[in-house]
Amino acid sequence: MNGLQQQIDVIGNNLANSATNGYKANQSSFQEMLYQQFDNDKADSAERMSPGGIRYGNGAKIGTTLMNWKQGSLQVTGRELDFALTEPKQYFNVLMPGENGEMTAYTRQGNFYVSPAEGGRLMLVNGDGYPVADSAGNGIVFREGVKNYSVRPGGVLEASYEDGTVMAVQLGVTTLERPNLMNRLSDTVFALPGNLADLGVTAGDVLTEMNGANRQQIGLSSQQLEASNVNYEKEMTDLINVQRSYQFNARTITLADQMLGLVNSIR
Amino acid sequence: MFRGFYTAGSGMIAQQRRTEMLANNMANANTPGFKAEQSTIRSFPEMYLSSIGKTDIPVKNPLHLKGLKPVGPVSTGVYMQETLPLFVQGQLRETGLTTDMSLVDGALPANPETGRAGTVLFRLENENGQELYTRNGNLTLDAQGYLTNPDGYYVLDTGGQRIQLPNDDFRVTQDGGIMVGGAQAARLGIAYAAQPETLMKQGNGLYQADGNLPDAPNAGYSLQQGYVEGSNVDAGMTMTDMLSAYRAFEANQKILQAYDRSMEKAVTEVGRVNG
Repeated sequence: MNGLQQQIDVIGNNLANSATNGYKANQSSFQEMLYQQFDNDKADSAERMSPGGIRYGNGAKIGTTLMNWKQGSLQVTGRELDFALTEPKQYFNVLMPGENGEMTAYTRQGNFYVSPAEGGRLMLVNGDGYPVADSAGNGIVFREGVKNYSVRPGGVLEASYEDGTVMAVQLGVTTLERPNLMNRLSDTVFALPGNLADLGVTAGDVLTEMNGANRQQIGLSSQQLEASNVNYEKEMTDLINVQRSYQFNARTITLADQMLGLVNSIR
Repeated sequence: MFRGFYTAGSGMIAQQRRTEMLANNMANANTPGFKAEQSTIRSFPEMYLSSIGKTDIPVKNPLHLKGLKPVGPVSTGVYMQETLPLFVQGQLRETGLTTDMSLVDGALPANPETGRAGTVLFRLENENGQELYTRNGNLTLDAQGYLTNPDGYYVLDTGGQRIQLPNDDFRVTQDGGIMVGGAQAARLGIAYAAQPETLMKQGNGLYQADGNLPDAPNAGYSLQQGYVEGSNVDAGMTMTDMLSAYRAFEANQKILQAYDRSMEKAVTEVGRVNG
């Protein structure tokens, strides 16, 4: 029953985030628990089909909760600083304060804003106010007087100024090869796990920075946002299924309780 | 004294064990690859009762005949003899995850003795290098990129080697080939158990065999990526079985009470001096 409760939690979180841009649904899966061996018939030599004794299971638990990294649908917003990545597993790089200074976090949530920085300049930040990184891992800063922003192939963001000059920035994009290994900071933001060395892998195994020739593989479009890939119908059917299972298990407990009651009432 | 007293008691224990087993089936009604357990209930080996006594023949010099007088066979109870997993294909459930795969039984040869077909299973290897088997196709990639089950046991290929993949962007063909970017990287090792009831359940959906199982014939299975095989527990039937086990338990309890009342009578009323 605890396992079912956890699955309801996962479904609830998916449904709650069905309108969150860049959210990837989670799926939990069950697993059996330990089996116990009872040798209750050592003396009996009757013919049988299975190995000696009987084996009891102890119930079920949540085995894994895996993320579905499939592409979500695109929503046109018409805002120049809304970006969507059209290739699955590619993530924007965001600079966040970490334990050892600044660290890079990864998100597919592409609603960016400009926020005033020192010297009358403008800094590109994400919805939480953290600076968006370029391909070299630095923050992106514009001069004052930007007329419009546009996107060029290869993940390039161009800012046209009122005086006619154009500034091009390569947005930092990273491909997460194993999104399930990543540490989930919030519903849409990921970071490298802290125990990479213990796991025996390097950052290079887990993610690929999209630089050089790889930049041609970046699928970036502006004035759009990626919607959540939560599938309402699936989540709702799962929810109904889980609730029914919960009822069945509750009924089992009632029966077990009544059996104990019968034992008590023998005398 | 009252043999039936213990018979009724053993009936209660057997029904309780059955309920425990059914409760486990019910708890695993959502576990991928779970095979429902069935129980067989067997009566205790029969005893042959005979009375020891002597027969007096009323003649002038009384003759004592000593010997056994047969009463007849009697059984003194029941117990749960076996729990047998039912290896029937479960329904496929779509998950859309590339690391989820389900085994679908194909044309498997039936066992000539029992008339039942064998079963096919995924090959796994635990940390001690021992081979285990499972039907749960809910797999994942570990940090090093090895294909594992949720407990971290390695999935083996046809050559008995662990399968290492660069990422989870791969395709699985019907015959178990894992295609990465158009080339076959590995082929899933599928084991064949001719007598699946001899497999021992180890918990976590794992089965252990006496020695290693042979490879499954190619026609015996197919694989579906993005699906897991659901549990083959029938919730309605399990509930019905559980209710009938409960009632049988209750009936045994009533008999126990009846014996108790007889004993009460023996203790308090037989031989009472002041009627």
